[in-house]
Amino acid sequence: MRYFPFGRAALSILALAVTSGGWLALQPKPKHHATLTYWTFATTHYDSYKKIIPEFERQNPGVTVDLELVSLNALASRMQSAMLADLDVPDLFEVEIGQSAALFRGPTKDIGLVDLGPRLHAPGPDGTPPLWDRVVHARFAPYTNRGHIYGLPHDIHAVQLAYRRDIFEKAGVDVRKIKTWDDFVQVGRKMTIPGKQYMMEMSDSDATVLEPMLFQRGGGYFDADGHVIMDNEIAVQTMCWYVPLVAGPHKIGDSVGYFGQVQTKAVEDGYMLCYICPDWRSKNFENDVSHMKGKMALMPMPLAAPGGNPTTSWGGTMLGFTKHNNHQDLAWKLAMFLYLDKSQLADRYRSTNILPPVKDLWSDPVFHERRAYWSNEKIGDSYIRLAPNVPAHYSNPVIQTATDKLSQALVDCVHYYNTHGYVDHGDAQFESYVRSRMKMRADEVRAMARRDSY
Amino acid sequence: MSNILATRPAIKAASGTGPRGRRSPSDKFAPYLFVSPFLILFAVFGVWPILHSLILAFYHTNGPKSQVFAGFDNFKFLFADPDFHTAVWNTLVFAFWSVVLQIPFALGLAILLNQRWLRGRTFLRLAFFSPNLLGQVFVGVLFSVLLAPQYGLVNKGLHALIGLPLDTKWLANPALVMPALILTSLWLYVGFNMIYFLAALQAVDKELYEAAMIDGAGPWRQFLAVTLPSIRPVAVFVLVTTTIGSFQLFELPYIMLNNSAGPDNAGLTVVMYLYNNGFVTGNLGYASAVGWTLAIGVLLISLAQMRMTGAWKAEAK
Repeated sequence: MRYFPFGRAALSILALAVTSGGWLALQPKPKHHATLTYWTFATTHYDSYKKIIPEFERQNPGVTVDLELVSLNALASRMQSAMLADLDVPDLFEVEIGQSAALFRGPTKDIGLVDLGPRLHAPGPDGTPPLWDRVVHARFAPYTNRGHIYGLPHDIHAVQLAYRRDIFEKAGVDVRKIKTWDDFVQVGRKMTIPGKQYMMEMSDSDATVLEPMLFQRGGGYFDADGHVIMDNEIAVQTMCWYVPLVAGPHKIGDSVGYFGQVQTKAVEDGYMLCYICPDWRSKNFENDVSHMKGKMALMPMPLAAPGGNPTTSWGGTMLGFTKHNNHQDLAWKLAMFLYLDKSQLADRYRSTNILPPVKDLWSDPVFHERRAYWSNEKIGDSYIRLAPNVPAHYSNPVIQTATDKLSQALVDCVHYYNTHGYVDHGDAQFESYVRSRMKMRADEVRAMARRDSY
Repeated sequence: MSNILATRPAIKAASGTGPRGRRSPSDKFAPYLFVSPFLILFAVFGVWPILHSLILAFYHTNGPKSQVFAGFDNFKFLFADPDFHTAVWNTLVFAFWSVVLQIPFALGLAILLNQRWLRGRTFLRLAFFSPNLLGQVFVGVLFSVLLAPQYGLVNKGLHALIGLPLDTKWLANPALVMPALILTSLWLYVGFNMIYFLAALQAVDKELYEAAMIDGAGPWRQFLAVTLPSIRPVAVFVLVTTTIGSFQLFELPYIMLNNSAGPDNAGLTVVMYLYNNGFVTGNLGYASAVGWTLAIGVLLISLAQMRMTGAWKAEAK
């Protein structure tokens, strides 16, 4: 210890630190083994891709695909952090519709995603028409920003109403006679037993069901240019119509949450009889409330007015391609394989119930099968009939703020309705309140949107 | 005395000074060398991000690459934004009730579980502390099921006991969200704070109680005159950490309210507001401004608490 006066222990620690640090520093940088990295947040997507990716790798010798399942919220955060730091960005990723627009902030040149416009408009292989002509156009709307398309839609998610067929039949209700929401509300008043049974799953505190109703009527949060329209006349009228259905003495809707065990129990007990049901949710019902097999059925959404839109949409997923990727052609090939390859369609549809957005694929027999769970109906047929009518969901980076503000406006209006009495004070007064409240909430979104100067 | 003198040369030798009391150059650098790994890591992963976030707070960040200097604009917008006001108000209400309820409950439990006559004390201590082993996310999921309308255990129990409607929506009624969060956090943290008080109670000099009893002090007088002054440093610590923890509230409402701020933003806290703006909307500059405002706010409140509780005077004595 002549040259190191601090003792053996200190020398040992120092030696250990230097050795381990040196060993780590000398390690070769881990090479990214996979040719392509693909992130998804949906377990159903992950499971179906996992099965078919080996086939893609077999068809493309030397190519490997690293498929990762990342949680819904973590995915958006990780994408933003990864783009900020230029680290660990996947080559392709799927992101939920409500989280996609946040990735389109800032100057166009700085957006970390590839503009898919040129590929979508290019003719397909073997003389097939451009993909743009094959996909339901409305589904590009949420992924379009300043004229650039940054996402390939995974789905359409047209909406029907799932209902407890057994309870309706027992009550002598013929759902074929329900054509408009007025008809629906009339039946709902008869079927609702306060505290025990409600006609429909509708919330008085969040806009989860209000939102698809708004889209069905041609409204929305933003117009095609990204301007806030959530306080326009359509929105005001939708809110005025919706609030008495979830508040006051004649309410016909209630909610216990849209997923999980509590919701499962509510479906089983017939606490609510009808549910907003896009294609993806029909699979949730099959999985989560499996012993309702044969007792559930689907009906088209009632019309807001004769001649109105028979459907709306709820949810969505886009596939994005990052600029970081050095194999753009290969990534596109993988996307086409996962989304369009006919040999994989049947498996994927049966495991997810999700109708692809490419119209020419709908002729496949798998989309016309009868489903025992849904009282032996051809549910694919009915979703296909509605698919061309799904409304466009235009977006903006502050979409999350807008959805929160719509919920807040709903809570405000429900509170007013409960405390002031809609009938006593007359429609005009309530409508005036709704209008002012929605403008206030929309202005808050506008203030937030103005801060993104691009 | 002789013992003390005998140890002096040894101390001198260990201190590394040379025969004339001077340090050799290697001796001077040695301490810095030993602490340098920590200092380097702390500078890179602690100090630099903090400083960078301070710089970022004065920029508009549009997307991952674009930053435009904005002066105090982020702070101006922040103080004018009604959602920020809601978040601050909710956080203050939560912090107030957390402190007001948690400290007396924790202290009461600690006193109870410090009694020798109580059977099963060890088990009860573990039982009350155990919620803290679960973590906020798990507790959030658990309570969102317990508090569910129609089917939740809480509603079923309260319906049976006092006739509360089964469809009471604890997490969907703006007026009930905050009580639900406060009660959940009480269940989660009261046992944790109890441990601090228990340790402090066990360190109180028993002779003080004996002296108080001889002077004729009853249990309540003993509590006021002996127990409270003796555990004051720990009480101040618990008060400050509970307040700081309350201002950092995020996971519990985020999970319980299904990744949202709840109805009418009734569960929106300052940290959730920061998260939504930074990581959902992607405006990191604005989120940094929120973070710094929160940090300064917490610092001021903690300083005020320490001043009001006389923590510094006690320290000076």
